Amino acid sequence: MDGLIGASAEALRLLFTGDREIWEIVAISFSVSFRAIFYIVPLAILSAFALAYGNFPGRRVLITIVNALVALPAVVVGLLLYMLLSSSGPFGGWRLLFTQGAMIIGQMILAFPLLVAMIHVSLQGVDLSAWQTARTLGASIFRAMFTIMREVRFGLIAAIVAGFGRVVSEVGCSIMVGGNILHHTRNIPTAIALETSKGEFEQGIALGAVLITLALALNFAVATVRGRDMARH
Amino acid sequence: MASANHAADGILRLATTTSTENSGLLAKLVPQFSDSRDIPVHVIAVGTGRALNHARNGDVDVVLVHAKNAELDLVNSGYGIERYEVMYNEFVIAGPETDPAEISGLSNLGTAFEKIANSGALFVSRGDDSGTHKKERQIWGEVDIEPNGDWYKEVGLGMGRSLQIADELRAYILTDKGTWLALKRKLSLPVHVQGASDGRNDYGIIAVNPEKHSHVNIEAAEQFIDWIQSDEAKAVISGHKVEGEQLFYVIE
Amino acid sequence: MSNLPEFITIQNVQKYISNRMVLDIDELVVYQSECVVVHGPNGSGKSTLLKILAGLMTPDSGVATTNGVVRPWRQAIREFRANAVYLHQTPYLFDRSVEDNIAYGLRFRNRSQSVLFSEVQSAMEWAGLSHLAKRNARDLSGGEKQRVALTRARILEPKLLLLDEPTAAMDRKSRKQTFSLIRDLASGGNAVYIATHEAADLYQPDRVIQLDYGKLVV
Repeated sequence: MDGLIGASAEALRLLFTGDREIWEIVAISFSVSFRAIFYIVPLAILSAFALAYGNFPGRRVLITIVNALVALPAVVVGLLLYMLLSSSGPFGGWRLLFTQGAMIIGQMILAFPLLVAMIHVSLQGVDLSAWQTARTLGASIFRAMFTIMREVRFGLIAAIVAGFGRVVSEVGCSIMVGGNILHHTRNIPTAIALETSKGEFEQGIALGAVLITLALALNFAVATVRGRDMARH
Repeated sequence: MASANHAADGILRLATTTSTENSGLLAKLVPQFSDSRDIPVHVIAVGTGRALNHARNGDVDVVLVHAKNAELDLVNSGYGIERYEVMYNEFVIAGPETDPAEISGLSNLGTAFEKIANSGALFVSRGDDSGTHKKERQIWGEVDIEPNGDWYKEVGLGMGRSLQIADELRAYILTDKGTWLALKRKLSLPVHVQGASDGRNDYGIIAVNPEKHSHVNIEAAEQFIDWIQSDEAKAVISGHKVEGEQLFYVIE
Repeated sequence: MSNLPEFITIQNVQKYISNRMVLDIDELVVYQSECVVVHGPNGSGKSTLLKILAGLMTPDSGVATTNGVVRPWRQAIREFRANAVYLHQTPYLFDRSVEDNIAYGLRFRNRSQSVLFSEVQSAMEWAGLSHLAKRNARDLSGGEKQRVALTRARILEPKLLLLDEPTAAMDRKSRKQTFSLIRDLASGGNAVYIATHEAADLYQPDRVIQLDYGKLVV
C-alpha cells in the first residue's frame, strides 16, 4: 500500500499539473455551495432578527429547535429531501433530483440552522438599546436591521464563513440528492468518497487539500480583517 | 405515445452499481453512446438495491445492475419494461495470504463459505443490500448457514471500502473481480477462489416503464439498451482490461 | 394645570412585564412645550413610561389622543415614533465616527449631502464636539458619549425628547456640561421629559410628576 507521503506527493502533482477533472470538481463544489449560501443568508438574517428582537409566542422554543438542528446530520437532510424530490414524492414534478439545484436546496437547508444560530448569538452580543436607538432615530425596521448588521459585521462574516464551511464539506446530502454525476453533481466531498472507495487515495488527498486550503484562507482573511479593526480601537 | 412523454431535458439517467463505475468500464461506454447520439448521459452509481429503488421511484430512466431476482421483480411489478442480459463478470473470494481456512484452489464458493465459517476466520460482508451482498446472502442460504458471531463483520460500505477493511482485518471477503483488480496493488489480500461454478455475476439492463412514470426518457433508454447490445458496445466491453485482465464477458 | 397647547394625551395605559404590572396611568397630558421631570425610585416605571411615549414599547391597554382625535394604540404609535426621540441612560453609539453617529437619523430624511454636512457641523459646535468629529464614537468618555447622543437626538428637532437618567454615572464636569445642554434643549419650544431618581430641581423643570409602583402620585 502506498504510504501517506507517496499519496500526498502524487496529490500535489495532480493539483499543480492542472488535472482538468479535479479542477472541474472543485469548481462545481464552489459554485454549488456559494449559491446555496448566497440564497439562504437573507432568510437566515431575517430569522435571526426575528428570534433576537421579535416578541411572539414560542420564540424560546424556536431558538432551542434551531440550536438542536445545527447538529442535523447531512445524510438525514439528504434522505428527507430525496423523498420529497423523488419522482414518486410530492415535489417530483420539479424534476430536480440528481441536479445541482437539488444539491443547492439541500445545502441551504443544512446551512440555515447554523447561520441563524450564529447570527442570533452575534445579535445577542449587541444590546437591545442598539435596536431601540436606531428605531427612535427614525430608522425603518429594514434600515434598523442594516444598522445592526453593520454593528455585528464580524459575527455575520464569521457565521457566513462557518456556514460555507459546513456545506462545502458535507457529503451525505450531496451524494444522496446530487447522485455524484461526473461533470454535473460531483463535488469535492462526493468525489473524495468515490475515490476513497476505489482506493484512489491520491485524488482523495488532493481534493482534501483544496478544501483545507480554502478553509484556512477564509479563516485567515476573517482574522486579518478583524485584527485590523481591533487594532484601530 | 412515447415521444409525448420524452423527458423535458433530454438527459438519460442511468442508475448502475459502483462496481461498473469503479472498474472504469462506463467511462469508456457512455461517451461513445452519448457523443454519437448527442444524448447526455448522467450516471448515478450506487448499490444495486438503491439503483433498483431509483428505478421503482422513477428517478432514473434505465438501470444496469447485477441481481437477477430483484431485477425480475422490477419487471414483474410493472416498473421495468423488460430485462435484457448484457454481460457477466465473476465473484471471487479474497482473503489473507496465510489462508487460515484453507480454501485456496476450491472451485465452489459455497464449499469455501462453509470452510470459512467452520475455521473461525474473519469474514467481511458488504451488508448494504448491494448486488454483491445479495449474492453473498444467497450463497450462505444455499449452504444452510446463518452467519453471525464475532467472526462475521457487516460493514455497510461499498466494495472498495469493504476490501480495504478486509485487508486491515485480515479477513475473507466476497468481491467482484473488477474492484479487486483495481485495488490489488494497494492490498495484501490475494484471491483464493476464482472461476467457481457458482461465481458468475450476470448484469441485466432494464428501462423504466413510462406507464408507471410518464416523464421517463423512454426513447433514450431504448436507444441505450439497443446500443449496449450492439457489436460496437460488445467490443468495448470485451476489450476493457484492468491490470491486464479482462473483466466483463458479453452474454451472447 | 397648564395653558400650553396639548400635544399628546394618553389614557388608561397599563403595561405588564412577566405578569407584573409595571405601569398603570389613568391620564397623562403631554404639552407641546414644557420641561417635565419624571421622578421616582428605581423600578417605579419611569423607563417604561418614556419608552411607551417614544413608541418603542406598546402598552397592554390604553388609548392616545393626538390633534383631538382618539386613536387606538397601533395607529398612535406611528405618531409617537415620528415625533419622539428616546435617549438611553447608557447611550448606544454606533461603531462609527462621531459625525456619522450624529448624522444617523438625518440620513432618513431628504437632505442634500451639503445641507446634511452643515447641519452636522453646527450641531457638533453646539455640543462642543467638533474636535472629536472623526473619532470613533466608541472611544469616547462617558460624558462625551452622552453629549454625542444628545446632539444626535437634537439634530432631528423632535417635538418630544425623552431622556432616561441622562446624568447618572457621570463626573461633575460632564454633569455640568450636560445640564446646560439639556436646559438649552428644553428652551427650544419642544417638550422634554427627563426620568431621574435624583433631585428634580437640578433640571429646573416646568413641572414634576411623581411615579410610584407604576402609578402617578398627585
